Amino acid sequence: MLTGSKTTFKVRQLVPDMKERMMSHSSLHARGRDVLGLCCLPGECVLQRAVLVRKKLSAKEGGGWLSGTLFCTHFRVAFVPQDSQKPDDNADPVLLGDHDVALASIDKVVAVGPSRTKLVTPTCSLKFTPEELVLYCRDMRVLCFLFDRLTPDTQAVEITYTIAKTYQPLKPGTIISFQNAALGSIEMKQFLSNRRRDPTMNWFESSLSWEQELERAGATGWRVSSVNDRFEMSTSLPRFNVVPQRVLDTELKKTFSHFNEGRIPRWCWRHPRGSDLLRMASFQNNIYHEKDDIRNLESVLFGGQQLCVIVDLGEEMPSPADIQLAHTRLRTLCLGDISSSVSVPDDKWLSTLESTRWLDYTRCCLRKAAEVACLLRGGHMTVVLQEPEDRDMNCVVCSLVQVMCDPHCRTVAGFQSLVQKEWITAGHKFLSRINCHRESDKEEAPVFLLFLYCVWQLWAQYPARFQLTEDYLLALHDSVHLPLFSSLLANSQRERCRRSQHLPQSYTPVNGLRELPMGGPEEPVDPPFPPVWDWALQYSSQRRVRFTQAVSQPACPPPVLNGNLNTNLDRGWHNDGLPGSVFLLSRSTFSHPSNLLPWRSGNSGSYWKSHRRAPSSESVSGLERLIRACSLSEPSENSTALHDPHEPLLPLLLGPCVRIWRSCYLRGVLHAQAFSHPVSSCTQHPLEQLSWEVQQLREKLAQASNRRPENQTKRQEPRQLESNLNQNANNGTFLFSYSSRTSQQQASPSRGASHSSVPPRAQRTASDLPRPAQRNNSKHTFLFGHQQEPQSGQPHIPSPSAKLPKRPGNTH
Amino acid sequence: MLSLGTGGAKSSKPSFVSYVTPEEIKLDKDLPKKEKHPDLLPGEVVFCSANPILKYTQDDLSQRGVFGTLFCTNFRVTFLSDELTLEETSKTFKNKLYGENDIPLMCVDHIYGVYDEKRKLITGSLVKNKYPSKIIIHCKDLRVFQFCLTFTKEEDTKKIFQGIAHHCLEEKSLKCIFAFSYAGTPSPEMQRKRETIMFESPEDWTQEMKRTKAKCRLVTENENFELSQRLPKYFVIPSALEDLFSYQEKGLPIWCWSHHSGCALFKASFPPMTQEEGDFQMHLDTMINAVAHNYLYSVKTEDLSESLPTILDIQQSYNKFKQFFLIDNSTEFWLSDVKWFSSLESSGWLDIIRQCLHKAVEVVECIDKDNTNVLVTEEEGTDLCCVISSLAQIMLDPYYRTLMGFQSLVQKEWVAGCHAFLDRCNHLHQKDKECHSPVFLLFLECVWQLVHQHSPAFQFSETYLTVLSDSVHVPVFSTFLFNSAHHRESVMKAESPPAQSGTLSCPTVWDWSVQFDSKAQNFFFNPLYSEKVKHEKTVRKPHKPKHQRQLSLPSSAFKTPPKKGFFKEETDSLKKMLRVKRISRWMGSPDSLVAATREFYESWQQRPLDYHGLLLPCLDGPAVHVWMQRYVRWIPEVHIQGGGSMAVMTKLMELLSQVQDLKNLLEQRDASQAAKFDHRPHRLFSFGSSGRLSSSFPFAYSRNRSFKPIIPTGLMQSLMVTDNLSSQEDEAS
Repeated sequence: MLTGSKTTFKVRQLVPDMKERMMSHSSLHARGRDVLGLCCLPGECVLQRAVLVRKKLSAKEGGGWLSGTLFCTHFRVAFVPQDSQKPDDNADPVLLGDHDVALASIDKVVAVGPSRTKLVTPTCSLKFTPEELVLYCRDMRVLCFLFDRLTPDTQAVEITYTIAKTYQPLKPGTIISFQNAALGSIEMKQFLSNRRRDPTMNWFESSLSWEQELERAGATGWRVSSVNDRFEMSTSLPRFNVVPQRVLDTELKKTFSHFNEGRIPRWCWRHPRGSDLLRMASFQNNIYHEKDDIRNLESVLFGGQQLCVIVDLGEEMPSPADIQLAHTRLRTLCLGDISSSVSVPDDKWLSTLESTRWLDYTRCCLRKAAEVACLLRGGHMTVVLQEPEDRDMNCVVCSLVQVMCDPHCRTVAGFQSLVQKEWITAGHKFLSRINCHRESDKEEAPVFLLFLYCVWQLWAQYPARFQLTEDYLLALHDSVHLPLFSSLLANSQRERCRRSQHLPQSYTPVNGLRELPMGGPEEPVDPPFPPVWDWALQYSSQRRVRFTQAVSQPACPPPVLNGNLNTNLDRGWHNDGLPGSVFLLSRSTFSHPSNLLPWRSGNSGSYWKSHRRAPSSESVSGLERLIRACSLSEPSENSTALHDPHEPLLPLLLGPCVRIWRSCYLRGVLHAQAFSHPVSSCTQHPLEQLSWEVQQLREKLAQASNRRPENQTKRQEPRQLESNLNQNANNGTFLFSYSSRTSQQQASPSRGASHSSVPPRAQRTASDLPRPAQRNNSKHTFLFGHQQEPQSGQPHIPSPSAKLPKRPGNTH
Repeated sequence: MLSLGTGGAKSSKPSFVSYVTPEEIKLDKDLPKKEKHPDLLPGEVVFCSANPILKYTQDDLSQRGVFGTLFCTNFRVTFLSDELTLEETSKTFKNKLYGENDIPLMCVDHIYGVYDEKRKLITGSLVKNKYPSKIIIHCKDLRVFQFCLTFTKEEDTKKIFQGIAHHCLEEKSLKCIFAFSYAGTPSPEMQRKRETIMFESPEDWTQEMKRTKAKCRLVTENENFELSQRLPKYFVIPSALEDLFSYQEKGLPIWCWSHHSGCALFKASFPPMTQEEGDFQMHLDTMINAVAHNYLYSVKTEDLSESLPTILDIQQSYNKFKQFFLIDNSTEFWLSDVKWFSSLESSGWLDIIRQCLHKAVEVVECIDKDNTNVLVTEEEGTDLCCVISSLAQIMLDPYYRTLMGFQSLVQKEWVAGCHAFLDRCNHLHQKDKECHSPVFLLFLECVWQLVHQHSPAFQFSETYLTVLSDSVHVPVFSTFLFNSAHHRESVMKAESPPAQSGTLSCPTVWDWSVQFDSKAQNFFFNPLYSEKVKHEKTVRKPHKPKHQRQLSLPSSAFKTPPKKGFFKEETDSLKKMLRVKRISRWMGSPDSLVAATREFYESWQQRPLDYHGLLLPCLDGPAVHVWMQRYVRWIPEVHIQGGGSMAVMTKLMELLSQVQDLKNLLEQRDASQAAKFDHRPHRLFSFGSSGRLSSSFPFAYSRNRSFKPIIPTGLMQSLMVTDNLSSQEDEAS
């Protein structure tokens, strides 16, 4: 039984100089499979193992215990259940199995003895044999392993030590060895370099993709400028930026110096009603404005519009430090840490939650985004988000506005493109904010997590309008804590580009990167980092299936070609060319302070000579009415308006409506999830029962109609339904399909197959028994009561990738 | 003409008959023809009316409203709009007795009058010659109505204001309650067979004892209330108890439920304190001995009046709590939002719910784990005893999680068990505040928490609970009108018309067809309920989980300090001999309160969940929720269009009905295979399109008129200021 342990025990002795050991062993275990069932990554070595360990399962995983073997490698803590299936050796490597946790996401190791608990650090010594090992993770998971009486005491002690020594939470620089452990082997490098990028999403790394986005949004009057191609104008901006068409690159170059870090106003998105959303940093005030500069600056700011509203995000939004503090408090509240004796009594739980202010900040962001969304709806203006740095709250609000207004951003591909556009290429400081390297604690702030929580709020209120699911958001949330992804390991696109220079060319299929000259010394130790969107690296296909709604997909509106829903109005108004009024939206009120634009303020003087019109107070109230008109619109009066895809999805932000993300924040509290109980073997979940019934009925109907349809297909469908329904019921949500079409292009092959099999609704009157030809259709009707166009053109082929979990209910 | 209001003020002993003279009814009919009349129920009489009255829509941004006529009848205050309303036809969940603009008199909680912009609580003794410009009515089902009286003739204003104030607020006698006028007209539905066990006959009790395999004794000596007027007609006591008559009303252990192991749950009021100390102790001992005799000579007792909040605390806490949901206008609600969680918490209502559930879990632990008899005691034995014993029974016995079972339970523990509904609900608007307390509502709240956490285990839905909590305040049903069985019987006898031979019969609340048609009653059922299917295993291959759950292994990480002090052993030698344990005192901090049962809860949680077995609630901080459906259903600001749990339910019900339809189709085709599928009782689920439902679906009715502000707090406030400005501008230009 312990034949394989010879190497591992030897290896254990070498723990302190892991790097050396890694080098020597990396070629030995090529895709090796440990004797006890751990499928190692290429180059991964087992440092320690303990047999006969039980893992406490969270309610979502099914509750209760699972016994198996616990491993600690230098990349992860892995747990292999006793009777797990032998994984396919030819399958692509998955970094983390369903029961695994990466060492880098571990926050704390606590050993529980017979009478005491102890926080285990790399240096401390354990004076008792642990009965239980609790791992607190940075992503708010809590893993709990229990050593059986049959587990050798030495194994229990040793693995606790090993984990405590290996995860090394606070030491800078350890991250590199961690990354090497996961991705550094030759096989892994090879494997990663052969990965294809997801072609369905927009990566915003080439000028072409920006042009696609312009076309998708139907924005005219804008062009992609490559003036920052070598990051000369601004180090933190992406290489390609969208600016008004009539501003030439030479003119544009002069504007950079007027903004903080050279972050000029850039186009982000166009509302279907013709308003443009821009973002910029604050103005550099001590710069002399030449007359030409002013003209260019104003053209950049106004685009083709007459009216410009600057939304100031600097003051009222929480600062990164606030967010960090709130998140820390939330963690302490939700984790229920046993090593610290601080616990919140149940009757004070709600007020403690309130005092973390995490919910407040969410509300604040959503409120601001809702305001901007209402403003955009008015049409014919540019709305410019301004923040001193333009790298934190601008990202949050700008992307939230798009999630609210653009149905495309509520699909997985669209959402990934959005994050790529507004966060990754736009230069959100992921590296400092997430602080994976543990280098600068004062920069750390989970701004991106706040954004994910905001999106979750929207999702929780309008689940039917999203294609992505809570599981997807959760996966993204967890990935943030894993320092393995190029998307999240740099502060700007420039850093990212520099790092990827030494990659083989095939890894960056899109044009662009190879034109760039090599700059700076390379760090050969860095393994190639995959993008975070490569979900197959992290999650098994069973779990990826749950990233999207399968019951229905929200209708994707046809792209608006001219970008303007009410084009007939004021067509000539646009090309006027004369920049008009500027307003400031701050603290929910509009104003037009004279020093809003530094060049327009009194001392420069040149402005007022050329512009006669001053903003009047009437237009202030006009704007306010605009927001109000939107907020008071009656959805039920005009029922189509509710599902008009161009209507913004405005969140309800009142006390009772803002909820806590249970499946994320409270999953560590193992006993807090009574309502999502596992399905036991003796009682079927009612939904399973229902789907079973449906299946029976189908078979009956098939018999009755004397036609034997392909059984294979018939059996797969209820499974799919079952898993989806089940999932949705657990989340307390359900999906409605109002769409008449599904967007097949976006769907994965399995999606597409399952959807094409949903036939139109048939008449179900007792007297009107369907003829055999129709009968085939009517078999499906009771599943989805919505109108769906017959898609007879598409052949019904069960996709091989549509594998479904054996027992979907149990894994929730 | 007799002025109603002043008449009421003069009369010290108000009595219903004196207010309506035949002349008045005629007067009402002489009103101008254009006025519409409300559809009166049988036995309903209009007292007074006024026109035109402006009823504000709840949103207070602009003082919008609807003009119409306000009526006050002996059943309700009703507002009849001058405009034609369309929603009546489209509503799927319509109450047949009262509509959206009707307030049953018993349902009125408080009336406020607005005098020169100032809001004052109207009490019965308010100055009579000054009339408010606006009245605000807060209902017990948490609706809020605002009527503007300034458009009406002064005389009418006077009449209607005093009429409403008098009939809603003044203390009145029981016989004025509408049920007795209504009862004379039996409806055909009432004759239909009842499925709910009413526990009004000895057979009901014997059957219940048989069902639970109890070995206790049915007492029929109190049939004519000779033993006590505070005791039920029939009740069950431990068989060891022999001398009934030494108990004077009090201190009699009454059987509630028996566990399959043989141990049972009993409840009792305190023995009378007037006796001498020795007698008291002796009485107590006999009581405990008798209970202990039931099974294995073990018993645990729990004094609820010591360990749980008093009924006064409950009342105060609920009063605070409901204020957060009684919103006069939306502005107020926007403002309350900032401190939402801490204000909820400060009311303490959620904590009381938690304490009750926790106590019930403790009781369940004694019964299910230790297999000891449990005796819960309380001063009266009819308030918190009812809460705890019924909660414990719901957790232990899946039968009570079905709709009929639940109704039987309420009937057994509350109605037959002599809970003083009349006093506790304050149906008669008595000034004496001591005895009012929403104990029954507290029970429903606790049940809701269970339903919310384990919805597949319950046959009924949260809508059912909400409707039940509303029905308490509908003065048509006999169920919630009386203080005890004796009270019911004597009143019914006195009120019955001499012409008829039998006693008067009111419908019980369980006759749901009095309130809802069968279509609406479908909302009472939980479409997710997992019914127990017996023949299933032969048909389906059961899925075996891949791993075996280990029951033996406790989690030491979450192990809590050993229980201390809850069920303390008595040092008394006699009791020690009998292995009697007695809960002595409420001990320890709130922390240990949860810690005590955590172990029990966790060991339960490690077992595979059986919806037809023991069911325990989770009581952690984040797990106790606000009953959103009941509390926010009238607040349009928090309705999510196209979302919420109700929308899920309706969609599922549609699915089920489609399955049912298909089954029927099959059955028609192939009669021989029909029986195989027939394990689900046939219910007809169908109601329009569920497409555009909001989160408060069956209750929110005013969608058509609501001006729902979506923009959040800060902006709203500033907009409301600027709104006036801009409208002025509009007028000027």
